[in-house]
Amino acid sequence: MVQYQRNLDATFAAVADSTRRGILERLGRREASITELAQTFEMTLTGMKKHVRLLEDAGLVRTAKIGRVRMCRLGPRRLADEAAWIGKYQKMLDARLDSLGEFLERTKGDDR
Amino acid sequence: MTTTSARSKITKPSDRQIRVERVFDASVDRVWRAFTDPKLVAEWWGRGNTLVIERMEVERGGHWRYVEHAPDGTHGFEGRYREVTPQERIVRTFEWDGMPGYVIVESTELEDIGNGRTRVVTTSLFHTTEERDGMLNSGMEGGLNQSYEALDRLLAKTR
Repeated sequence: MVQYQRNLDATFAAVADSTRRGILERLGRREASITELAQTFEMTLTGMKKHVRLLEDAGLVRTAKIGRVRMCRLGPRRLADEAAWIGKYQKMLDARLDSLGEFLERTKGDDR
Repeated sequence: MTTTSARSKITKPSDRQIRVERVFDASVDRVWRAFTDPKLVAEWWGRGNTLVIERMEVERGGHWRYVEHAPDGTHGFEGRYREVTPQERIVRTFEWDGMPGYVIVESTELEDIGNGRTRVVTTSLFHTTEERDGMLNSGMEGGLNQSYEALDRLLAKTR
């Protein structure tokens, strides 16, 4: 439980920052090296390393050294979140269309 | 893969795409207004929950933000309009506050199928690892990696 709470705290801390949210969005598209991320977000390598470490501690990002380059990709927590979110989104979309159908039915008289 | 819910035909053209098709017994004009007039959106988008439309600039680049007050809490959704073609097509980005930085591109297309009926096709594109893998396979990443490796070497030398 304490561990879970710590994970949760780490997750919230990690996504509380707009740069880190941007990093997650960027890595959701494809993996990237620290250098590439630093360039994209116009910051120093040291600064970017700090952001990536926070995200890695929260399990949102995973990094691996390939040759001299440290590559970053989404971590296990983020991938599980993604799958859950896609499922949730689909249900929501379908429910909204149900609601739209009811609305159009209800307002039929307004059709001139 | 095809799933049929109460009234929708749902297909998954790829792991990162969901296509939902549904026919409404209403004219294109009414359906269009239901999607683009904030007063009408507030009537249905919240699925019975109170919906506050904070922003809705229905034009290319325009910002939208809705806040849904559900029994389990308040949920904010927002994004930007990428394409608005009257009576035909709306493309906008969609982001939920609960998944910050996680952007879906949502395209809604309307088609008049006669007898005052309209087919609505919503295609949602998710930014996921599959897209990343697609890039990897296309070889673009290789070229990019080489460039960045060269840059890394240069930066190491000039440190």
